[in-house]
Amino acid sequence: MAGAGSASERQNRLAPYLLVAPGILWLLVFFVLPIVTLAQTSVAVPDGPWYEAFRKALSGYGTHFLRSFEYAISATLMALVLGYPLAYVIAFRGGKLKNLLLGLVILPFFTTFLVRTFAWKTILNDSGPAASVLRELHLLSPDGRLLDTTMAVLGGLTYNFVPFMILPIYVSLEKIDRRLVEAAEDLYCSPARAFFKVVLPLSLPGVFAGSLLTFIPAAGDFINAQLLGSPNQQMIGTVIQNQFLEVRDYPLAASLSFVLMIVITLGVLAYARVLGTEDLA
Amino acid sequence: MSNRESDGKDHELHRFLREAISRRGFLARTALGAGGMALGGSFLASCGGKEGASKAGEAGAGGGKTLRVSNWPLYIDKQTVPDFEKATGIKVEYTEDINDNNEFFAKIDEPLKRNQSIDRDIIVLTDWMAGRLIRLGYVAPLDDSKFPNKANLVDTVKDVSFDAGRKYSVPWLSGMTAIGYNPKKTKRELTSVNDIFDPKFKGQVTMLTEMRDTVGLVMLGMGKDPAAVTLADAKAACAKIKKARESGQIRKFTGNDYAEDLAAGNIAVAFAWSGDIQGLSADNPDLKWIAPNEGAMLYSDNMMIPKTSDRQTEAMAWINYVYDPKHSAQIVAGAPYVSAAKGTSEELAKIAPDLAKSPLVNPPDAWRAKLHVFRALSDEEETEFNRIFQDAIGA
Repeated sequence: MAGAGSASERQNRLAPYLLVAPGILWLLVFFVLPIVTLAQTSVAVPDGPWYEAFRKALSGYGTHFLRSFEYAISATLMALVLGYPLAYVIAFRGGKLKNLLLGLVILPFFTTFLVRTFAWKTILNDSGPAASVLRELHLLSPDGRLLDTTMAVLGGLTYNFVPFMILPIYVSLEKIDRRLVEAAEDLYCSPARAFFKVVLPLSLPGVFAGSLLTFIPAAGDFINAQLLGSPNQQMIGTVIQNQFLEVRDYPLAASLSFVLMIVITLGVLAYARVLGTEDLA
Repeated sequence: MSNRESDGKDHELHRFLREAISRRGFLARTALGAGGMALGGSFLASCGGKEGASKAGEAGAGGGKTLRVSNWPLYIDKQTVPDFEKATGIKVEYTEDINDNNEFFAKIDEPLKRNQSIDRDIIVLTDWMAGRLIRLGYVAPLDDSKFPNKANLVDTVKDVSFDAGRKYSVPWLSGMTAIGYNPKKTKRELTSVNDIFDPKFKGQVTMLTEMRDTVGLVMLGMGKDPAAVTLADAKAACAKIKKARESGQIRKFTGNDYAEDLAAGNIAVAFAWSGDIQGLSADNPDLKWIAPNEGAMLYSDNMMIPKTSDRQTEAMAWINYVYDPKHSAQIVAGAPYVSAAKGTSEELAKIAPDLAKSPLVNPPDAWRAKLHVFRALSDEEETEFNRIFQDAIGA
């Protein structure tokens, strides 16, 4: 009797582990293993000390790192400015159109990211529609251009990652109990004040998740800079790709990836502390 | 192309290749080191293979296997593939997926090192890269018994330094790298390599990501001979490129894709491959390609069969087919470069008399004298030159 009880108790204790096992396995195979091999690669320097590649990565690519973070932060802010109001409208004013509107947000994913970025090349072309209109309006000088500029790269990054901002914000707004807003208004809160005191704080977990989902891939992106930027807009992702594929300096490419990963992790930790969102859904 | 191996250069190439081969032991060791990288390896392998493509195309029209040809963009006419299929019953999957020698090498290096299929039966790479593949033992010898048209190979390329007797490679086409431009945007005739640095064209010029082409041309503009390039020359040329890039003079470094920008009017001047402009000028008759006063770079791209291809017979049929002057003339009619098959000009005169007179297809002796080849580099030099160049182009 006692034995059977302890067996089922053991089963109960094991259950959580069994439940997380697939996740752990996935992480092991697709995260830990690649990280370990990447670490091995980064120190497999044919000549010189093991940290040689890291020394090169830290000393030679400061501008690329800075530029990447600058672009990624700007793109995240722009995505937030564009994405928050949209998510708000869908969640609070969407009505029957809610699903349709969400569908439209996801619609671009039905074509690949590469094709969509190529499409921007055509749109922003010197003789393309956007540039011609802006020239007519004298917002762009006659020999000015849109393609291969910082603005084009930022636009591309924002465009490509804005859905990752909208969706988590939408989810956190959707979860908000509307009666809290009503209560605030009953207590003589203006709609604006109710928004800043009630809605915004409750949606912060969504903002947090959304900005991470935008910032992290944007910081490591190499397609937008390559297709929409000039050689003076190249980001660290382009450098890593080039070191892997063109120069084939694998240790340097691997250590650049590591430095990028570490900086992003530290940044995210600091951000989490500032925003204080311990209850990330 | 025929003068690409002028005697002096050939000696130099020979010397360097001998040195490179003696370094083979070193190469093998670094290769082993890199092989330990499972991540890099599998990542690159997945880029290199076109999964599923091989299965889909297993059975061709003639019951045989589909021939998979990888080539550069704008490098063939539209009729040759269907004609070949009709004539031989071999189905062809022709892909224009080579845009850069190094990038393509990075894709195929890992699988070939591990003796795995790269799902391609013919690959076309530039001389220096062909030399590397042959040195590494990545390509299969050509079966001369299935290549009677080898007799049509022009004499000057029969015996090149990187492939004596043409046992592993034969030229697909050769071309020249120099200046392509849009006179509507430049508003003047260009005559010099250095015109690309004219501040009037700020933000409207592109250069190539092929290190040899770009560094070679800039060197010519500086009065240096790329056939005798030293590290100091390369550094000086790269410093000049870097300065122009940082000032915003250079809008982009490209592969074949400069052609789109030139046609779209985004750029005024580009380092360009000779045949591309002719190919584009059907829709953009204004575009021009010139061999500047200082000279131009000469290259040729070579067909090879990867050692892991299981379709050697089909591949040989293709190589033999395109060395029939009638067929090579047809290819040249669609891609105006220089063919290495004897009799091409005569056949071309029958189907495209105007083109047959073009210097792009038949460079006159005055031009040939101005063509330069980049010296063969040792592996150490290769890495060093590439590093400086990548830094110069901001990547």
